[in-house]
Amino acid sequence: MTKRMLAALIALVGLFVALYLTLYKVGVIGELACSIGSCEAVQTSRWSTFLGLPVAAWGLAFYASVLVIALTGLMERYEDSRPLALGMLALTAWGALFSLWLTYIELFVIRAICQWCVISAVLAVGLTVVSYLDWRELRAWRATDG
Amino acid sequence: MTGFLIGMATVVLIGAVAIATLVTKKSRPPITDVDMQGSPSQARGYVYGDTTAPVQIIEFADFECPACGLFATLTEPDVRSRLVQTKQAYVRFFDYPLPMHRNTWDASHAAACADEQGKFWQMHDTLFANQDRWNGEATSRPKSVFMGYARELGLNDGQFEKCWDDRKYQKRIASNRAEAERLHVSQTPSFIIGSKLIPGALGYDEIKKLVTAAAGSPPVAGPTTPAGPRPLMAPAPRQ
Repeated sequence: MTKRMLAALIALVGLFVALYLTLYKVGVIGELACSIGSCEAVQTSRWSTFLGLPVAAWGLAFYASVLVIALTGLMERYEDSRPLALGMLALTAWGALFSLWLTYIELFVIRAICQWCVISAVLAVGLTVVSYLDWRELRAWRATDG
Repeated sequence: MTGFLIGMATVVLIGAVAIATLVTKKSRPPITDVDMQGSPSQARGYVYGDTTAPVQIIEFADFECPACGLFATLTEPDVRSRLVQTKQAYVRFFDYPLPMHRNTWDASHAAACADEQGKFWQMHDTLFANQDRWNGEATSRPKSVFMGYARELGLNDGQFEKCWDDRKYQKRIASNRAEAERLHVSQTPSFIIGSKLIPGALGYDEIKKLVTAAAGSPPVAGPTTPAGPRPLMAPAPRQ
């Protein structure tokens, strides 16, 4: 399995996590399954919206974008595309930083932790690592090839 | 590539089934019958409405709990205008300050001190509508915020401040909390309508249905107004 395949799989898992939180936020799901921490405290805090939209909806868009980029990168014509690898790295790094900032807010401002948000943060960091390895591999391959 | 496709299909399948299960599952804890006999005499709560109305809606809530705030701002206005003002029911509110909320006791004191000046419900509404300005994540010193509300509501701020500083109604709030514990209230908000204890926030339609059902049932003894210096009165019209 290539790193882009792995990125696509992680993004797909993240997509479902973000979808679940978004459905809660818009009222389709009445209560979050939250065995650890206090998801409700986090999801109803003022930090749960960003630029007028639920943070979970931004997460949904983030994972969907990464999924599309990763799947596009599997196509033969984009396999050695440097802009695509760099774009995926930049996007995932931004997502990871944003997730880490939200985790900081949970721990030190809201003082409650939402397990789904933590899972999402771990996935975002994982995506960044995979994207970085993909980009590094492409760079090494180009150097060898060139 | 085959392994990748199988992996993607597996994630899609598991994710779709999980989401569908969570969307359709009945997540609310079960409604139980409750024994309302033997309430501690101190637990009188705060009443909104005419106590001669046939059904009592008891609410247990924590001023700092977000779900309680949503209920108070979104659903409670309908309950008041369509059930209380039409004398089908009245509301009795019990504080249930939970340990994970840093400023909730302070808020309960603010509400009790406003009650001393006949403005419990105005303070109740203000506290719930502005949770993010005084809760534990907003400040560790909520007193100045509460003082501002007291002034906005036209309370005698000297009297309010002394009451709040002295923790004058500590026993009353503790009694309300003890009543929630005695009845095994497991979350906030929770409601007792008729003889049913319903955990979790309710929508107006659910409350209406429960009130209608309770109105057709024999009355159940509940917390009653204790003999005391100050009778529980229906509140003044809201501002």
